[in-house]
Amino acid sequence: MPGHHPGSIPITSKLKTLAEAAALVKDGDTIAQGGFACTRNTIAFTHELIRQGRRDLTLSSAVLGMDADLLVGAGRVKRLIYGGGSLDRFGAIQCVNRAYEQRSLVPEYYSSLGICTRYMAGALGLPFMPIKSLLGSDLLTQLEEETAKDNVKEMDDPFTGEHLVLLRALVPDVAVVQVHMADAEGNARILGPRWDNDEAVKAARQVIVLAEEIVSTDVIREQPELTFIAGYRVSAVVEAPYGAHPTSMYKCYDHDEEHLRLWVSKARTPQGAMEYVDDWIMGSRDYYHYLERVGGFERLQEIKADSRLGY
Amino acid sequence: MTDGAAPAFTTSELMVAAGSRELQDGQLVFAGLGIPQLAAHLAQYTHAPHIRILNEVGLVDPHLIELGVGNADPKHWYRSAVFSSFVDIVGMTLQRGLVDVGFLGALEVDEYGNNNASQVLRDDGGLRRFGGGGGANDIASNARYTIIITRHERRKLVEADRLVHNTSPGFLSGGDARHRAGLRGGGPKRVLTDKAVFGFDEQTHRMQLVSIHPGVSHDELRDATGFELDIPANLPTTPPPSDEEVRLIREELDPKGMYVSAF
Repeated sequence: MPGHHPGSIPITSKLKTLAEAAALVKDGDTIAQGGFACTRNTIAFTHELIRQGRRDLTLSSAVLGMDADLLVGAGRVKRLIYGGGSLDRFGAIQCVNRAYEQRSLVPEYYSSLGICTRYMAGALGLPFMPIKSLLGSDLLTQLEEETAKDNVKEMDDPFTGEHLVLLRALVPDVAVVQVHMADAEGNARILGPRWDNDEAVKAARQVIVLAEEIVSTDVIREQPELTFIAGYRVSAVVEAPYGAHPTSMYKCYDHDEEHLRLWVSKARTPQGAMEYVDDWIMGSRDYYHYLERVGGFERLQEIKADSRLGY
Repeated sequence: MTDGAAPAFTTSELMVAAGSRELQDGQLVFAGLGIPQLAAHLAQYTHAPHIRILNEVGLVDPHLIELGVGNADPKHWYRSAVFSSFVDIVGMTLQRGLVDVGFLGALEVDEYGNNNASQVLRDDGGLRRFGGGGGANDIASNARYTIIITRHERRKLVEADRLVHNTSPGFLSGGDARHRAGLRGGGPKRVLTDKAVFGFDEQTHRMQLVSIHPGVSHDELRDATGFELDIPANLPTTPPPSDEEVRLIREELDPKGMYVSAF
């Protein structure tokens, strides 16, 4: 019968090692990060970027988290395109905030919807999109006069005359997302809320999927309604269990409070942040070694989520 | 209101109850963690069971059983009706014009309800940057009305020209300035502090007192406010939370006192 493949459905494998996937990012690239505050950050991927010496990066995210703070703390970021950021009650994104105060990078600071609107225009293949936020605010003044002269304009709606802000499409070079499950082609499931992931993934030129679990495509195809990222958009799939540690992964593991607090205390000073990077990232052979060093199986078992509660 | 008697409620419990009373049954309410979320839940437990709470990460109506560390904590997502996205919640619901009430926190608020969620000045004049407002500007711009929650201090309630960063516009320079800027949402309706409740004059849109919390003197209020304050002699006292409201907050909503201890 047409389209019938006896046995398994043939798919293109995009399985890569963490090192191979990180090598897809070039110096100076714009990376859309898939995390939110202290959950589902792309920590394993960030470690590898730092290990490989990637620099002059632009990071975009509606709400930045620890992965952005690590890259900024390691001195690898020249521009941020973002709406906010925090580590919830554990503390602030101190390296990012310090860089903002010292203007050691360009902070293109929008609202959350502002970031999503720029991604959405990119995802739809449109040059720009209007938004009804930002009007009258200092966010708009800063963007128009300082940080984003070429990306933000105002105009009146040609149909009704209503005043609008126009945001230029953002097409990141790479979107990176930590997901729960993917097949080798990159068809991927994300459980829990998805914040800005849908638009970021669909806007980006390349998508790198980091999966807690790699499964056969047959598993994905048993419930395709759960597929959040279509494999054809994906450039690389990496098996990265606990790849968001010490941030949380809904239904897999909780944030690791002890290690998050360690980062927050080290990130208080630029020297401390660099010490953390040297010790925990450069001083680990690879991500599995890092996981061993933060407590290994015993610790990871302690933060494992209850499957019914999801945390 | 006299000294000596042990209070049957704390100031933060009073604020949660005052926030709750601003909400009506059936409303769509944008509420982040802390006093806003507790206020919305308290309303659901009492006079407004059909309120639906939205959270920007992509949550509709979570009914948590354990408070977590923040919006990014899956504890705060428990028993939601929907998991979606920023675009769904902040775009297709809030910007679409469907959100009745949005709560906002504030580092500073000026006399026209303009709200700083970004940065303050250090004593030496240098900048102290915070993480950024996230969806705060979207809420301030697009909700039918907002309720601002802030600590009542002279450096936080400031004159219009002293606001360090207008992250989330209120009534801008007052009068019809907000409307002229093209903002669709109605702007702030209440400013809820640990000393008083404010509303806004219908014409000038300048902040004005609605009530003063029990035990707070007029002098104390004036001292803690950074702009010129007109205190009417017959200013009402903020109604205290009922015994049942206090019980719900302590036993059901925040049994560990994680968020009601904020003030």
